[in-house]
Order: sequence, then structure tokens, then C-alpha cells
Amino acid sequence: MTDRSAGERADFLSRRRARMLPALAIIYFSQQAIYFRSTAATHPRDVDRLWIAAWVVLSLLILAGLVTKGFWFQPREVRDLIDDEHTRASRLEGLRVGFIVAMLTAVLLYFVDQFTVMTAREAVHIILSLGLGAALLRFGLLERRALLDD
Amino acid sequence: MTERLANRIKEKRAELGLTQAELAERCGVTRKTVNTVENGIFVPSTLLALKLARALSLPVEELFSIEN
Repeated sequence: MTDRSAGERADFLSRRRARMLPALAIIYFSQQAIYFRSTAATHPRDVDRLWIAAWVVLSLLILAGLVTKGFWFQPREVRDLIDDEHTRASRLEGLRVGFIVAMLTAVLLYFVDQFTVMTAREAVHIILSLGLGAALLRFGLLERRALLDD
Repeated sequence: MTERLANRIKEKRAELGLTQAELAERCGVTRKTVNTVENGIFVPSTLLALKLARALSLPVEELFSIEN
């Protein structure tokens, strides 16, 4: 592993990221389904509070991964290569889609709030999860597509 | 009318006996980016287009063209 050139290392890592991102998005979405099926959303117990804290940390990590180059423990040369022109374009497209999904979700919740009781935490949870998940999924699918014609 | 950016990267790369990875290294990008430009999936910036042209020893207008 250590005798690989920076380019080979960057290629290896970007392939791994392309495989992981869509899977991570699906896991992230499915976690939210579990959250809303439990009592955590409405009447959180101590164990639920721990789960909510874990969700906040994971969401912040995903956000940080989306807005930075990611791979924080890799050498700068490798990080710069991984975040090349195509990746930056894919990442920006992912963030654009995530923003649109978050805004549309907010509008929908604003409308739905007339007919159902919803806590602020539930609303924020839904908007953040859908926005981040959509951004992650779009970014991951673009990265996967880029590797399809190999 | 839909326009797309056509390129001769694959042809020129083959003439020089370069792999995508070698061309990517010369341009300071990953092989994935060279692959997407070569297959017309991704439209490169002017900077990258110039780097690709330089790496393949061609003027940029001979490497890229607009296709209707």
C-alpha cells in the first residue's frame, strides 16, 4: 500500500468512495425510518437521547465530508488528487440536489403542519435527513457512473 | 439544437501509447476524470482542457471540437 504512487492511491480511494457512498446513503435513510417508527421522535427516553446524539454526530460527519475534500487522514497530495475537477463538480451537484430536496421538504412540512402535530425536532430531523441523504446519494451515484465506462 | 463537446483524447492517447492513468498523472487528476472526459460524460474546464492538450502535444482546438 505504501509504495503506491499518489495517483494510484487516489484512484483506489475514489473507487472505494464511489462504492461506499450510495450504500451509506441507504443506511442513513433506513436509520431515519427506524427513528420515526420508535417513540424517539415524540417521547425520547435516555437511550433515545443517545441515539439522537449519534444521529447528530453522523449528520455532521456527512456534512463535513460533503463540503470538504474528505479523507482527512490522507496526505495532502492524495487529498488534492481525489478532489479533482470531476469530483468537485459531482460534489457540487450533490449539494445542489440536497439543497433543493431540503427546501421542498420544508415547504411540504409547512403545509402538512396544518393537519398534524409535529415537534420542531421532528421537522428538523426530516429536513436534515432528507437533504443530507439526497446530497450523499446524488454525489455517490455520479461518482459510480464515472467509473462505469472503465 | 443540442451541442456536445467531442474529443480525440482516446485516439491521441493510443498513438502516444499512454494509458488513462499515465495521462491523468501528467495532468494532475485521477484516472476517473480522464475517463469521464474521454467518454464525453464530463465537460472539462479550460484549464484541464489545456493541460490535456499539452500532455498530448496538441493544440486544444485539435483535441476538442463542438459537435451538433
